[in-house]
Amino acid sequence: MTDSSPLLSVEQLHVAIRNDHGISRDMVSGVSFTVAAGETLGLVGESGCGKSLTAMSILGLLPRPQAGISGGQVRYRGEDLAGASRQRLRTLRSAEIAVIFQDPMTALNPVHTIGRQVEEVLRLHFPGLKAGDRRQRVLTLLEDVGIPAAAERVNAYPHQLSGGMRQRVMIAIALAGEPKLLIADEPTTALDVTIQAQIISLLISLQQQRGMGMLFITHDLALVAQLADRIAVMYAGKIVEQQPAEQLFASPRHPYTKGLLAALPAAAEQPKTRLAAMTGQVPGIDQMPTGCRFANRCPHADDLCLNTDPALESFTDGAAVACHHWKKLND
Amino acid sequence: MAGYFLRRFLLIIPTFIGITLLVFAITRVVPGGPIERMMTQAQLGGETGGLQRSQGGGTLSEEQMAELEKYYGFDKPILTGYALWLKKVLQLDLGLSTRYQDPVWQIIRERFPVSIFYGVTTLILTYLVCIPLGLLKGMYHGGRFDGASSAVVFLGYALPSYVIGIALISLFAGYYDWFPLGGFVSDDFSELSPWQKTKDIFHHAALPLIAYLAGSFAVTTLMMKNALMDNLSTDYMRTAAAKGLGLGQSVRRHALRNSLIPVATSFGSNISLLISGSFLIETIFNIDGIGLLGYEAIIERDYPIVMGILVISSLLYLIGNILSDICVALVDPRIRFGGGVH
Repeated sequence: MTDSSPLLSVEQLHVAIRNDHGISRDMVSGVSFTVAAGETLGLVGESGCGKSLTAMSILGLLPRPQAGISGGQVRYRGEDLAGASRQRLRTLRSAEIAVIFQDPMTALNPVHTIGRQVEEVLRLHFPGLKAGDRRQRVLTLLEDVGIPAAAERVNAYPHQLSGGMRQRVMIAIALAGEPKLLIADEPTTALDVTIQAQIISLLISLQQQRGMGMLFITHDLALVAQLADRIAVMYAGKIVEQQPAEQLFASPRHPYTKGLLAALPAAAEQPKTRLAAMTGQVPGIDQMPTGCRFANRCPHADDLCLNTDPALESFTDGAAVACHHWKKLND
Repeated sequence: MAGYFLRRFLLIIPTFIGITLLVFAITRVVPGGPIERMMTQAQLGGETGGLQRSQGGGTLSEEQMAELEKYYGFDKPILTGYALWLKKVLQLDLGLSTRYQDPVWQIIRERFPVSIFYGVTTLILTYLVCIPLGLLKGMYHGGRFDGASSAVVFLGYALPSYVIGIALISLFAGYYDWFPLGGFVSDDFSELSPWQKTKDIFHHAALPLIAYLAGSFAVTTLMMKNALMDNLSTDYMRTAAAKGLGLGQSVRRHALRNSLIPVATSFGSNISLLISGSFLIETIFNIDGIGLLGYEAIIERDYPIVMGILVISSLLYLIGNILSDICVALVDPRIRFGGGVH
């Protein structure tokens, strides 16, 4: 972990989605976190909690006009991106901040060769590069992300590659602009487990070589443990807990995080034992309670929880929790 | 893939036989053939012709009927008749028109320049207008331009082409006298200079072309628009945005080619437009095209011409379908016909 001033700092971010009736609802409600250069922040949460919306809003990649930032700031090296022009955002994309998407099957254009798709980033952000050098750079990038026989594969179409290879191509596209910050939005969710491990170790080594900051978004706690320096846990549009990775696994503070960790199937456990699943459902966007959003599923909830939303309270350096009773629960 | 297209070309043969056999059988089965038609006309001619033909008119004897049937080949069973017809077609002989007694091929060929002119112009203008229009509508979906162009396109689609034709001709040729009332060229066409000839053709063609095109814009434009909108919301377009491409750049470089796939698929059925003009428009504008010829041939039971037009249009349609498969394979690298499991 580095202690330099943060590369990315998201402050009180709100992201709203407008439904068919034109009513806007905040799907992300006041999320704050930072990512320092060379650091990996894992943003963990279940489907629909707003983690991908948070990630996409950083570069203005939210689906228009249905979704948009409705409040807060996204500061990249001090510059507010939430209010930046489209033009400014375009120059930052790939060159400063790059994204790897979830599904490599669909994230690549099916009618262009992979070489051309990598090359496009170079054309855009390094217009001075000669054609021959550019070609060479594409090959180097493909080799860097571990594509065997890159010289032959460069002319392959996406459908001729496996899922893991395609995700490597996506990573090559992301690295082509030499970004300082990499946003990985569930990059291994669509891949099988052995390929997952390869992609994760590739990401770790590339990040270390290039000293990039990384925002790694996933629903998989076991996965994020392998590469994150710090972990932020999101629930129903809010961050409920944030801690350095080892600390989070050793002593989770929020009842939701505790529940998640308890629900992980441990290898040591007896086969065919029941997993400790959490009861209840995430409240729907139209039924968001005024109090703590986890209250309806929390075994420790009382009147205070039902009526007052707990603030994210930091308790040690780099660690914070949003729970009225966390002290009592962790004594 | 070459093997696949070879197979497709070979499949034309049984399909062609199926189509022509069916229509041939229908012409034999439906009541009222060329002979009956000629007799009716002979009778009518006899009545109106007055005295000199009153004795010769009336019904023919059984013998004469049998002779006529033999002359036209109607005495043979359907399959034998068909085989004889097919044999002649293979020798590129479409037979004689029962109405004009001229070779069918010659009659059709005379109409070709007119029909091909309208067919090619319609085809080119349709794609030239529909593809950019569909792209713009898709990129600015829900905007003012989208709404206004939709209104125009749907109005054209909703109005039958002959209604548009009659409206145009009565307004711009009847009331205002800006355009000729009909015909393909002016009477003094042969005396004009090449430049005046071109001008003359388009002067005559303007109104019928509008009538042809008004209805044909809607389908292709909306197909293009919907295909583009489907592609705009794909993940690879988000990848393009994440690379730092603007909307125009990412549409041009990424969405356009993917959106052309469904349009390329429809190319084959449009190619038959090349010769099959609408007989209604041809009637309204007094254009001597294939559409009108075919319609009259059916009414007059001129079966050799009906079959002759069918031969040409079905071959065009079958080849057009293969062409559109080739087009699709050209734009979409995922499609490799006939590969099966690699």
